[in-house]
Amino acid sequence: MTMFTRNEKSPEPNTRPTDATRETTMTTQSSPPEPVRSHSATPQTASYNAPATGASVISRALKITGQLESTENIQIDGEIEGDVRAVSVKVGSNAKVKGSVYGEEVELAGTVDGKIEAKKVVLTSSARMTGDVIHQDITIHSGAYIFGHCRPEYGKTENRQPSQPSLVKPKEAVAAR
Amino acid sequence: MRLTDVGHYLRASGLDHTHLTQPPRTLVKSPRRRDGELPTSHLGRAITVKGVLDTDGELYIHGNVQGQINADRLVLGSDGYVEGDIVAREVRIGGRLRGRVFAFTVALDSSADITGRIFHHIVTVEKGAKIDGRMPWRPLNFFESFQQPPESQS
Repeated sequence: MTMFTRNEKSPEPNTRPTDATRETTMTTQSSPPEPVRSHSATPQTASYNAPATGASVISRALKITGQLESTENIQIDGEIEGDVRAVSVKVGSNAKVKGSVYGEEVELAGTVDGKIEAKKVVLTSSARMTGDVIHQDITIHSGAYIFGHCRPEYGKTENRQPSQPSLVKPKEAVAAR
Repeated sequence: MRLTDVGHYLRASGLDHTHLTQPPRTLVKSPRRRDGELPTSHLGRAITVKGVLDTDGELYIHGNVQGQINADRLVLGSDGYVEGDIVAREVRIGGRLRGRVFAFTVALDSSADITGRIFHHIVTVEKGAKIDGRMPWRPLNFFESFQQPPESQS
């Protein structure tokens, strides 16, 4: 009994401080990095803490072959072969995207060869768009190049498939008859 | 196309890792010293990338990457996760990595959690870093003539 009580008692004071210290260490680990972020005394710490948000920047020197998916914003200045999904996608003037771009907002100043599907689309004067634009709200600046259709169908048809099959199907149906 | 189809997509479009036919990259000297700093890319916490990443500049990863990474300098932040091989001149790892590293200079921070091999010439390991795997040293010429990582034998 005494042993038990001792054992029960003794770990508790031990565990409590360790938990407390853990918590404090956790908090000291989790909270100070943010203050450090603003200070960023050495370039090495700055490198770690640079993006305080989840936003991404793909510089002109970066080429990605594959898919990108983000729950925040993406700025693209490089080259991407594949699909991009994010909340807000900005395609810079020297950027190239070969694939589809999906987002709430898409601002295009560069080249997209594929499809844009976004609620709000902005094509600036340097934009070069080859493919369809599915939007709800579109802005096209003078000088923008579009080879494709603009359809105000964002959110109406949740078709992730390319648009061609829908055009082919009626013909096939007619031929079948 | 969903994210899960990427591997298939890459293979179908002939964009497998083997497609990279870039000129031999020297992992010893930085190319950016010549014409100033090359731009830096950030992959934020919210991002998931599946595919091949290729840059001559700096790359900071705080998100999720599955695939091969070629860079001059790579920093894997403490909340970053990479599944795949990393080829770079200089690598600093503070996050999780499953895969191999081929880099002239490697620095592992205390928050690093690595499963795989780390091929290096110069290495720094901070106290607390978790490393499950070997860390083979390689001579200079291994990195000077480095082109593509060999198939992993596992």
